[in-house]
Amino acid sequence: MSSTKAKDQKPEPVVYSEAALRNNAVVVEYCRTSMAALSGSTAGILGLTGLNGFAFYVFAVVSLWAMFLIKAGPNWHKYYVSRQSVLTNGFFGALFTYVLFWTFIYGMVHVY
Amino acid sequence: MASVHKIIVIVGFISLFHSAFSAAQHRSYLRISSQEFTTLPLDIIIQAVSSLFAVMWGVLNVSGKLREIPAAAELNTVKWETQRNLPSFYIFNHRGRALADDFVPTPSKGELENLE
Repeated sequence: MSSTKAKDQKPEPVVYSEAALRNNAVVVEYCRTSMAALSGSTAGILGLTGLNGFAFYVFAVVSLWAMFLIKAGPNWHKYYVSRQSVLTNGFFGALFTYVLFWTFIYGMVHVY
Repeated sequence: MASVHKIIVIVGFISLFHSAFSAAQHRSYLRISSQEFTTLPLDIIIQAVSSLFAVMWGVLNVSGKLREIPAAAELNTVKWETQRNLPSFYIFNHRGRALADDFVPTPSKGELENLE
């Protein structure tokens, strides 16, 4: 009996507004796609090749994450369910956009 | 406020394009003087990276406001006047109007018939 009572004393579930969650996810996704395209172009301009380019992508992702946290301020709990998911969501999806722009701009600037 | 960030985005894009053209010109200069490409000049690198950051910051602020995700956050801001607002119970004509000093009674049907 006491064990079931201990189970019942979980922290109270937080109710999230579905519309607000979706709105924030859309904003994050928009910024992430733009960031992938822009940082890919910058990597192409800088003429990065090989692993340097991927390191630059990681650098850009982390700096966008830092910008999101700066924008949300100290009480980020009001806007994101977790900070880590803002960092890692759609990492590889945006990587493809990044590689596309990287190779395209590299070809435009450095090859032709 | 949003227009400031739009200007940041536009200026950052122009700066990024400018650094792209600078890099292309540097490449063609190296090709003409038959030198080997090692790395871009530092000023082009700084310009490209800083304009990247500027555009990222601008896009982040242009993309829209973040909404507060707890469900109670928006319900708490609803005012009592909003809750009480019932359009079905709006009253446009009230007979108490006849008590006003400047009340002009509308002609009744019988009077209208007498006019003719």
